[in-house]
Amino acid sequence: MPTTTGEPLLVVKNLKKYFPIRKGILIDRTVDHVKAVDDVSFEVRAGETLGLVGESGSGKTTSGYCVLQLLKPTSGSVLFNGQELTKMRKAGLRQVRRDLQVVFQDPYASLNPRMTVGDIVSEPLLVHDIGDRRSRRRSAEQLLEVVGFNPDFINRYPHEFSGGQRQRIGIARALALNPSLIVCDEPVSALDVSIQAQILNLLKDLQAEFGLAYLFIAHDLAVVRTMSDRIAVMNRGKIVEEGPAEEVYSNPQDPYSQALLAAVPIPDPRRMRERRAERRKHQDVLAESI
Amino acid sequence: MVTDRRSEFEATLTRTAEARGQEAGAALQRASLLRDAIHRFIRNRAAVVAAVAFVVMVGFVILTPWLSHGSAYGVDFAQAYKSPSWAHPFGTDEFGRDLLVRTALGGRVSIAIGFAATIAIMIVGILYGAISGFAGGRIDDMLMRFLDALYGLPYLPFAIITLAIFGTVNFWTMVVALTIASWFTTARVMRGQIITLKENDYVRAANALGARWYRVLFRHLLPNTLGVILIFVFLELPGVVLGEAFLSFIGLGISPPKASWGTLAQDGYSAYEAHPYIIIIPSLAIAWLILSAFFVADGLRDALDPRTRET
Amino acid sequence: MPLLAVNNLHTFFKTREGEVRAVDGVSFTIDRGTMLGIVGESGCGKSVTMLSIMGLIELPGRVVDGSAVFQGRDLLKLKGATLEDIRGHEIGMIFQDPMTSLNPTLTIGTQITETLRRHLGMSKQQARKRAIELLQEVHIPNASSRLDDYPHRYSGGMRQRVMIAIAISCNPKLLIADEPTTALDVTVQAGVLDLLHELRSEHEMAVIIITHDMGVVAETANDILVMYAGQVVEHASAYDLFDRPEHPYTEALLEALPQVEGEGIRDGRLRSIPGRPPDLIDPPKGCRFAPRCAYAGLDDCAVVQPELREIRPGHWVRSRHPASERVAQPVGVG
Repeated sequence: MPTTTGEPLLVVKNLKKYFPIRKGILIDRTVDHVKAVDDVSFEVRAGETLGLVGESGSGKTTSGYCVLQLLKPTSGSVLFNGQELTKMRKAGLRQVRRDLQVVFQDPYASLNPRMTVGDIVSEPLLVHDIGDRRSRRRSAEQLLEVVGFNPDFINRYPHEFSGGQRQRIGIARALALNPSLIVCDEPVSALDVSIQAQILNLLKDLQAEFGLAYLFIAHDLAVVRTMSDRIAVMNRGKIVEEGPAEEVYSNPQDPYSQALLAAVPIPDPRRMRERRAERRKHQDVLAESI
Repeated sequence: MVTDRRSEFEATLTRTAEARGQEAGAALQRASLLRDAIHRFIRNRAAVVAAVAFVVMVGFVILTPWLSHGSAYGVDFAQAYKSPSWAHPFGTDEFGRDLLVRTALGGRVSIAIGFAATIAIMIVGILYGAISGFAGGRIDDMLMRFLDALYGLPYLPFAIITLAIFGTVNFWTMVVALTIASWFTTARVMRGQIITLKENDYVRAANALGARWYRVLFRHLLPNTLGVILIFVFLELPGVVLGEAFLSFIGLGISPPKASWGTLAQDGYSAYEAHPYIIIIPSLAIAWLILSAFFVADGLRDALDPRTRET
Repeated sequence: MPLLAVNNLHTFFKTREGEVRAVDGVSFTIDRGTMLGIVGESGCGKSVTMLSIMGLIELPGRVVDGSAVFQGRDLLKLKGATLEDIRGHEIGMIFQDPMTSLNPTLTIGTQITETLRRHLGMSKQQARKRAIELLQEVHIPNASSRLDDYPHRYSGGMRQRVMIAIAISCNPKLLIADEPTTALDVTVQAGVLDLLHELRSEHEMAVIIITHDMGVVAETANDILVMYAGQVVEHASAYDLFDRPEHPYTEALLEALPQVEGEGIRDGRLRSIPGRPPDLIDPPKGCRFAPRCAYAGLDDCAVVQPELREIRPGHWVRSRHPASERVAQPVGVG
């Protein structure tokens, strides 16, 4: 089980990401900014899972991309293993990326359709010059086995597989470099319930076996609850509440988190009325912008 | 130290791999994107007819000069202006040269120029568009503004000016002129493709792995534009063939006694009232090639990108 | 007499690989003013069932067999204008994606009044007045001023409300909602579900809600139909289904669902169903769930297809090993 010991692996401080809104045809000028991420701070310790939960447009995915340096933050600091990533050059970042990996949402868009499963899974090793052709192939086979994917299909192409199987391929790729932190960006939201359970269990198993830490980004509160030691709730670019999972869920403090939790449909028809009444209490918080 | 961690990781990998069952199940039916595409193409009757027509035309221009007895260059005024007959199925021209063979030879030149220019257009357009889309930002802005400026100018005068600068018209100058006049569209489409593909998660994944830029470009982006490139080959080809024909027709063609379809048509123009077949035959040949290529391109688009048809 | 009785519906799709039996013998009824939830994973045939009933199946699909009797008329036998008249007038529909269901070039008002004028023959003024009422009914603030806005000015949830307003504009007796909240955020979803609930009781309108989300049906439906691989595998009242699920698939699905409430959630594992749903071109000969079922044993499961049977009043199940008849332990629960 996860070992949440002292040293934070990832420290994000005052992270901001503003996207300019441009106008003008010939001469661009910036008229305003979308504050996608607006002063966000959080930590992930080795071996633990921090769940980042929020609705669409809350800035959770943008935060994830800023951690991964797939987007350049407007300001703020991202300390990973004690190194400041926002100021790092390409060569340095390349080394960091061995320890910092990602699993994406859409199992159809996250695998290059023109590469075989084997090439996809061994690409990380190739990019970082680990091993030779044969050892990379053997590693790929083992990685596939570890994620519960039949390695006999190593020469097949991604489109021959279902969403769940493809997500396993993506996880194997993320695992290949032996990272210490994996950013999981909505890893199961495109999957059916029965397949979703397989993938969530797999992620839990891998965490225990390889001592992984996850930054687990999702909109589904139940899924986040299942995976996370601690939870941060995001709304409109800000973290509105953060704490141990049990506390946030059983006794949410922030009005938005309360409303969000009340809105989750519970698979228990007997509580329909009670839930509906609970929701009404939070209606003003949720008054939807038109 | 690093290797230590790696070997430790590999040991864990081996251990867990052995313990794990395969929950994921078997592959879906073995589906092949290529086979699907071929099937969709074959089901499109117009495209198949066009493809056959295209091949027949290419076959005709390659094979006829070997099989036919007619003379393409021998001047024989006794045979001048013979209407189509068994001896000369397409008739003869004012010098008594066999038009069947001349049409085929002219087709060789036209189609060869067409393919050469198309390939050149693809190379220039793909490079320009890919660099622009891949680099993004300021470089992209600059390259696109330049393209916009070129776009504003009409197409054929470009080729005419280029030919005028060269001062002579032969196979290669013609290819260069046509390329300069018509690479813009390919560049623009390529840029759009690359920008769209860049938003794919597998490209993000490659970046997150620390893949160098050339790997991202050549392994993840360009291979996924192959379908579009193939379609564009068949879209550009007819345009280039027509451009060549037009230039030849207005007197900027390959010098005699060599001929292309354009120069043949131009020859026929001077005598079209008395001997209309001389202009009709090369014109039909041009139309044949252009239409078949267009329909092939259309079929390819439907076959390679089924989404465009569904909507 | 039920409002809608679907009997033995079969809808197949011709593909190059063979015929896909997307809906393979589906039967159910729905009474006036009740809410039926049809739940299942992608590809189980829940949407195709509804499209078949509404005559919206297009080639290569084909309704092969069955009937759908709505107020005494078999919808599957109706053609062209008659069917179109029922659609939108007596049966309303809303779909998953509120972003593409509205025409971006017409104002919201135009799109609502169009239906009113066509089906109810209202005048321009009447229709406009009614449109405002409808928008108020689906809780769109400042309805009268919002009427002349274009769809892009509306958020996703608001657009879905507009779709609902259009669907109920002719006071239909039945509203079919196909994944009406799947594209919406959870807080917005809650509002839309509450709205559906409210409208159902106010208009005495029957509602069929199609969804993949067990939570959504639990919060809305009186009766629930669980579909798997083109067939109904369980049909019961909402209370009975969640209290005592009978079909091994329903059970597994409920256990596979991550929970928001409870203790020790973080350390536990979810029940997972190994493998994935069968290929509907060549479905298993016996029970469709047998290859993934923990209880499928050495008996007929793999050979003979089980019938949908009433295991207790109002609770139908298609399995040889329903929970209440089970003695043996599962062969290998993961």
